[in-house]
Amino acid sequence: MRRIVITGMGAVSACGMSAPALWEAMRDARSGIAPLVSPDPGATLRMKVAAQMKDFDPKPHFDETRLGLLDRSAQTTLIAAREAVSQAGIEFASSGALAQRSATVIGTGVGGELSREEQSRRLYRDNSTRVHPLSIVRTMPNAPASHVSIEFGLTGPAFGVVSACASSNHAIIQGAAMLRSGLADVALVGGTEACFSLSGVRAWEAMRVVADDTCRPFCKQRRGLVLGEGAGVFVLEILEHARARGATILAELAGWGMSADAGDIVAPSAEGAANAIRAALDDAQLNPEQVGYINAHGTATPANDPTESKAIRMAFGAHADSLAVSSTKGVHGHALGAAGALELVAAIGALREGVVPPTANFLDPDPACDLDYVPNQAREMPVHAALSNSFAFGGLNAVLALRRYPD
Amino acid sequence: MSESIQDQVFKIIAEHGKVDVSEVKPESTLKDLNIASLEAIEIIFDIEEHFDITMPDRDPDFDTDSAQGLVDAVNEALAAKQNESGGSS
Repeated sequence: MRRIVITGMGAVSACGMSAPALWEAMRDARSGIAPLVSPDPGATLRMKVAAQMKDFDPKPHFDETRLGLLDRSAQTTLIAAREAVSQAGIEFASSGALAQRSATVIGTGVGGELSREEQSRRLYRDNSTRVHPLSIVRTMPNAPASHVSIEFGLTGPAFGVVSACASSNHAIIQGAAMLRSGLADVALVGGTEACFSLSGVRAWEAMRVVADDTCRPFCKQRRGLVLGEGAGVFVLEILEHARARGATILAELAGWGMSADAGDIVAPSAEGAANAIRAALDDAQLNPEQVGYINAHGTATPANDPTESKAIRMAFGAHADSLAVSSTKGVHGHALGAAGALELVAAIGALREGVVPPTANFLDPDPACDLDYVPNQAREMPVHAALSNSFAFGGLNAVLALRRYPD
Repeated sequence: MSESIQDQVFKIIAEHGKVDVSEVKPESTLKDLNIASLEAIEIIFDIEEHFDITMPDRDPDFDTDSAQGLVDAVNEALAAKQNESGGSS
């Protein structure tokens, strides 16, 4: 079987403009959650806090003509992709053959939401009869994938993936599956979200799942999720390809599992999540005992955290008590379609540095959440294999299984 | 005589729960009435629209709260709204 390794990573988030900045914040439990910068300062909002890229200015990163084509979700994707490609030290331009064997898959929950809202305001608020001519190409959810392929000249298979909060993991899996099946040798994969439109914020408020204080996964005082934004992109390669060019390997993407709850559109199912976890272990040929760390979905909603804890118990049996499980969402927020990509940085960090990032903002344990959540303090421990969970509204589950490389 | 706040709230609950309004009692919980959490947030939305108020954010025990709890919350929100409009004039 063709083995798949990760040779580059890039991330932009509320915790800074690079993957190392995000990793250090996660490791040190330094939260990027802050008072919400309102998309409409005139509006009274119930949402009080968020993990936003407050000082983000795209101008230094793109020339003016190009910037006009890019929704914020595509801007962040490109910046993360540049970091990942630069770390991988891979040169696409010099080889047409390599470019053709390189795939691009980027997930997003809602695509060009801010561009859509901007044009809606023109129509419905300003009674304008015209919208911007680039509205379609800015808002289409495949735009981030297209821009990555254009930037690096990748002419292999490319497309976007949508599965709400599991979009990143599904996108990463699609890229990896193409490598394993022989459709490509290299893939740029990841996810992005730029969701702080007024209509988006209002819609989340109306669902009444958003915390007004901060994000406290798995603890008794958790009050819901806190929205975040950002993007994460990774370079996946066939092991032989990475070896042949002497690349530094960050981790092996050993396997993956996907499932659908086929039940409720919102309420999560422990059975569905456990099925995806088991499928990932099987696919990676990992025994439960080999896994040391799980980066949990851990949204801090009343429903997710006990359900996910139960799912981990169902899949791991007695070994569940020996696992370090943490949610890093208290640091980078819930970045929806970018969540899995930001969280893969945590799993890679744990494997490479032998440090498990903690669950930030943890107060008191909840009897319904009875695993070891590594509260507030990072833990030094060798991690040979790790999982990264993403479970989406709609009952769509996607789990990544990673191995330390070399191990 | 116009409908009381309680009658109006119970009517909204009954419509969503597909039950007769007479089945909604002050002590009924949404669970008793077989109302799923997704419908519960729709009830809140309809109440907010109906009374033009903003309800306080959902408490963790919202699902088990009684119909009376919703009526109390509406009364509080209406009082707050009245104070606001009175104070700003």
